[in-house]
Amino acid sequence: MDQLTQLATRINFKQYVVYIGFLLIFLFFAIVLKDDGFLSTRNLTNIILQTAPITIMAIGLVFVLSAGEIDLSFGSIVAVSALVAAVVMNEHSMILGILAGLGSGLAIGLFNGLLVAYLRLPSFLVTLATMGLFAGVARMLTDLRSVPVLNSTFTGIFGSGSLFGIPSLIYWTVGAVALGHFVFRETKYGAHVLALGDNARAASVSGIKILRMRLSVLMLSGFCAALAGLLYAGRLQGARYTLGEADLMTVIAAVIVGGTLLTGGKGTIIGALAGSLLMGMLNNGLILMGLSVSDQMVVRGFIILIAVALSLRDTNH
Amino acid sequence: MKIKKLLITTMLSTLLVSGANAQTTGPNGEMATPSSTVTVPEAEIAKLKAGNYTAALLWHEQSDFVNAINAGAKDEFERLGIKVVATASAGFDAAKQRSDIETALIKNPSIILALPLDPVTSAAAFKEAVEMGVKLVFLSNVPKDYQHKSDYAAIVTDDLFSMGKQAADVLAQAIGNKGKVGFIYHDADYYVTNQRDNAFKTTIAKDYKEIEIVSQQGISDPARAEDIANAMLLKNPDLNGIYVTWAGPAEGVLAALRANGNKHTKIVTLDLSEPVALDMVRGANVVGIVADEAYELGRVMAATGARSLVGLENPAFITVPAVTVTADNVAEGWQRSLHRDAPKSVLNK
Repeated sequence: MDQLTQLATRINFKQYVVYIGFLLIFLFFAIVLKDDGFLSTRNLTNIILQTAPITIMAIGLVFVLSAGEIDLSFGSIVAVSALVAAVVMNEHSMILGILAGLGSGLAIGLFNGLLVAYLRLPSFLVTLATMGLFAGVARMLTDLRSVPVLNSTFTGIFGSGSLFGIPSLIYWTVGAVALGHFVFRETKYGAHVLALGDNARAASVSGIKILRMRLSVLMLSGFCAALAGLLYAGRLQGARYTLGEADLMTVIAAVIVGGTLLTGGKGTIIGALAGSLLMGMLNNGLILMGLSVSDQMVVRGFIILIAVALSLRDTNH
Repeated sequence: MKIKKLLITTMLSTLLVSGANAQTTGPNGEMATPSSTVTVPEAEIAKLKAGNYTAALLWHEQSDFVNAINAGAKDEFERLGIKVVATASAGFDAAKQRSDIETALIKNPSIILALPLDPVTSAAAFKEAVEMGVKLVFLSNVPKDYQHKSDYAAIVTDDLFSMGKQAADVLAQAIGNKGKVGFIYHDADYYVTNQRDNAFKTTIAKDYKEIEIVSQQGISDPARAEDIANAMLLKNPDLNGIYVTWAGPAEGVLAALRANGNKHTKIVTLDLSEPVALDMVRGANVVGIVADEAYELGRVMAATGARSLVGLENPAFITVPAVTVTADNVAEGWQRSLHRDAPKSVLNK
């Protein structure tokens, strides 16, 4: 018995809550919706495609939260970059459009980062303000008009195409998660991010350039949001000022349910991927169950609440 | 109240064109067909019931207005033996709308009813549904370059022109077809309010020669309605009537009239609201509220989809009439618009 307890302590079930929750919900939908196509390859692929931009944004947010900061502005960055990319692409070339889209995300991230790192303003307030600021910019850019993206190479690479029968969004998801996981877990940069989030003073004493780190994680988040914006533009074959607006809470929920701490010092990219897929699966399964929209919202809220409660229980933070 | 509805419909930039002097017409100039003429013939109902058909309702948002449309569609589908297999709300998010369509298509619905969030991004979003042969019935908007019959069954919308015209008629009648009126319009590039406001103005100019619009004031923030009405009344204390662009600001205008002890200036506004209706049934300033028939919008969307399934032709562009609600027909008007009882306070006066 003692051995079992010891084993349980060592395994630390909390760490796996998101995976266990993911499996339980998957099994639930697989049984309840077995005649409704939930398990069809097309539906399971849909879930991954639909969550690809969420996953990419979640990767950026894992770095920011692990460093002890927060970014609330990424939804607005999505819209700005998608619109900038679409406009530049239509007037110049695809390459310039992509560079301009990603560049605008980096630039907004830099703006956030400079205010947080060098003016020592709290990231919560800075990004709360820039969220509104750049949502306004997105509206101004094209005067609320949607911009079509007609370049088939672009839409093929970013969202609508496939290679060897596998949709491009799956490559983006797998590539971004693999790269994010590697940088987060295997490089000095990832270790420094965690050290900063765990104890900024100790990190500073040990020689980590904490201001530069704060700047860099917010730029990384801006870049990820911009990439998500390009994926939306490719998938929808157009850009619109509302893109990303509704994603803030979904991405934060995915990251937290996945096991990243809001207070910094602990994060996981694979967990964020599982959290993101969990969110997508909930949306998908609850619609397939034929629930009314209000019922879907209530059930989704309860499940997220349970997942968050389980993954955060017993922490001393 | 219906700000969200207004906002969404304003996004519909390539929308249903209607000139200030014209009736509501379709995106390609199609003439409007009244919804009452679009029904499913009794003879086809058995065929529909035997067909095991299904439908998905993929709305753009959640609101009182959408709830009434949803109820109208569901009741009609139930009557025709068509099962609703999925319901979703995109919350104004074009990406979520695309996901909702993909998810709903897993259940192979025969019909999809939806409001395409915007013509550009909706074109790609609904493409798969078109390719699968799903009968699409659109509310108020159409994806770019989509063709009637080959891509969609019909577009259904409010008769915006009639809403403004009926508001002019009810106000004119209340003031004896002559006098001075104020015009509080929505000062923004919003299709729905712009069309309704213009229709009011056009009707007054064309049909009521002895009524003069002596004061015009735009409003963008409903919270400022009271100030605007105060200023208008200060300059024109003898106003016989005021048109207010929708019920939210009308509540502010009523507050101004009450504060001034003004009982002679009549008010007309659009969209149902309990406080405005209460003033009306008490015989105070409000003489009429013009509303759309949201429940009927849902019914006719469902009927159009069902007609397509059995190979019946549909008109390209269908409009749902406006209903003028006065103190005499408030219970019936509430039923016609939202298909539910008017609030108790209004019914009990």
